[in-house]
Amino acid sequence: MFFPQGDFEMKTIVELTVNGERHELAIEPHWTLLEVLREHLGLTGTKEGCGTGECGACTVLADGNPILSCLTLAAECRQMHITTVEGLAKEGKLTIVQEAFWESGAVQCGFCTPGMVLSVTALLQENPVPSEIAMSKALEGNLCRCTGYNKIIEAVHLAAKRLSSVR
Amino acid sequence: MHLPRFILLQPKSLNEAIELLAESGPRAKLVAGGTDLFPRMKYRISLPEAVVTLKGLPVRDPELTPDGVLSLDSLMPLAQVVRSKVICDAAPIIADAADRVGSNQIRHMATVGGNLCQEVRCLYFNQSHSFQFVEPCFKRNGDMCYMFPKGRRCHAVFMSDLAPVLVCLDAELEIASVENRRSIRAAELYSGDPLRPFHLSDGDMVTGISVHLPKGSWGWAFEKLSLRGGLEFAILSVAVILETDDDDETCTRARIAVGALSPAPLRARKAEGILNKSKLSEDLFRAAAQQVSTEIAPAPHHGFTMQYVRKALEVKALDALNLAMRRVAGHGEHVFSAGRF
Repeated sequence: MFFPQGDFEMKTIVELTVNGERHELAIEPHWTLLEVLREHLGLTGTKEGCGTGECGACTVLADGNPILSCLTLAAECRQMHITTVEGLAKEGKLTIVQEAFWESGAVQCGFCTPGMVLSVTALLQENPVPSEIAMSKALEGNLCRCTGYNKIIEAVHLAAKRLSSVR
Repeated sequence: MHLPRFILLQPKSLNEAIELLAESGPRAKLVAGGTDLFPRMKYRISLPEAVVTLKGLPVRDPELTPDGVLSLDSLMPLAQVVRSKVICDAAPIIADAADRVGSNQIRHMATVGGNLCQEVRCLYFNQSHSFQFVEPCFKRNGDMCYMFPKGRRCHAVFMSDLAPVLVCLDAELEIASVENRRSIRAAELYSGDPLRPFHLSDGDMVTGISVHLPKGSWGWAFEKLSLRGGLEFAILSVAVILETDDDDETCTRARIAVGALSPAPLRARKAEGILNKSKLSEDLFRAAAQQVSTEIAPAPHHGFTMQYVRKALEVKALDALNLAMRRVAGHGEHVFSAGRF
């Protein structure tokens, strides 16, 4: 096995599908998905909180499942469809979840909101009528430093109600 | 926070991964979900030159044979374990423990094998040391534990939630390396030495888990104590399996395993002895729970006092025993967070 010494560059071309758009990027193996999204694709809606998988601010959807982009290597995401918070609204129209957050006042400083919205989107896709336990279980990995959890749970209730009436 | 530089090896098959691991030796680390290794690499407390990633490799579906052996792929993400009907029906205790690991996002990334082979943790070791002017601790090749004044040995503990459950079920782990494939009991994986917590050599990899499920009627419970739910590791966890006679009252075999209090998950053998071959009752459970907290010697961690940890262990063990008993009789239905099964 060849182990290069010193400061070396080992960029490889990786094709990423983010919000339905395909990007071909030259990336280093140690770059995380979060770094690539924010610094190379300019999608700064995904936030970096702790960087070690505790706060959930960097949550993105990989094939519909919420994952932590700060602990995912960009080079591992070749086959996945990544959705960030920028990919939710279509033609300037907010999704039901985003509108519910807005109307319920579930946003204080807003730093955790992209992660929260994506976690809730994934929850409602899997379980359109979640119990309150299922809601808090789905959001347990998203830390809100403003501690506005009650309004966020209200927003999930509102979004679930509206989604069921749409269906 | 950035990851240090490394070479990324992306094998196309499990065999190729095992070969790459053997070729690179101790300079490479195996990574599946990355939720344990990457934070440590970001803190610069683990600096492998190469990383062999298992992400994207095919995952075997869980299987249950007619004679009651459940086999799992170690690459299965925990979220899939919770959603697997086969596992939820045959061994709900595994699904429940998987459902309590970390947060929802972590469960979608972390795998069963990674959970069983995670590094031991302690409040001092698992943080960035770049701003601190202190000598390294035992885990970083130093000669002092900084968690306690004049700490003469390492006090790191093993915090996996699945490990006590699999130790309780006496699961068998399949281990593959270039030289051979072997299977060992779950309890044999853990050495009890926090500096080298696993009985695995550099080229070894846990590839599968098989569980011989109890026959007849049995109840189960998994209790985990943590103050902030999915945002932190367990203070302690207790897994209980009670097998009973046809009358649902006489215990034929009891198994209790405790996790997150020591460098390896521990069985509470004396407490099991109190329950074995006895008629189960509330008083007996109280005595057994007391015995669990007496015989397990907790490593002080998380900043709690020993008195608190011991009392908490007794309370959680009693809760687990009562819940397992209710489940023997068919009560205490469990609803998983996925809400399907």
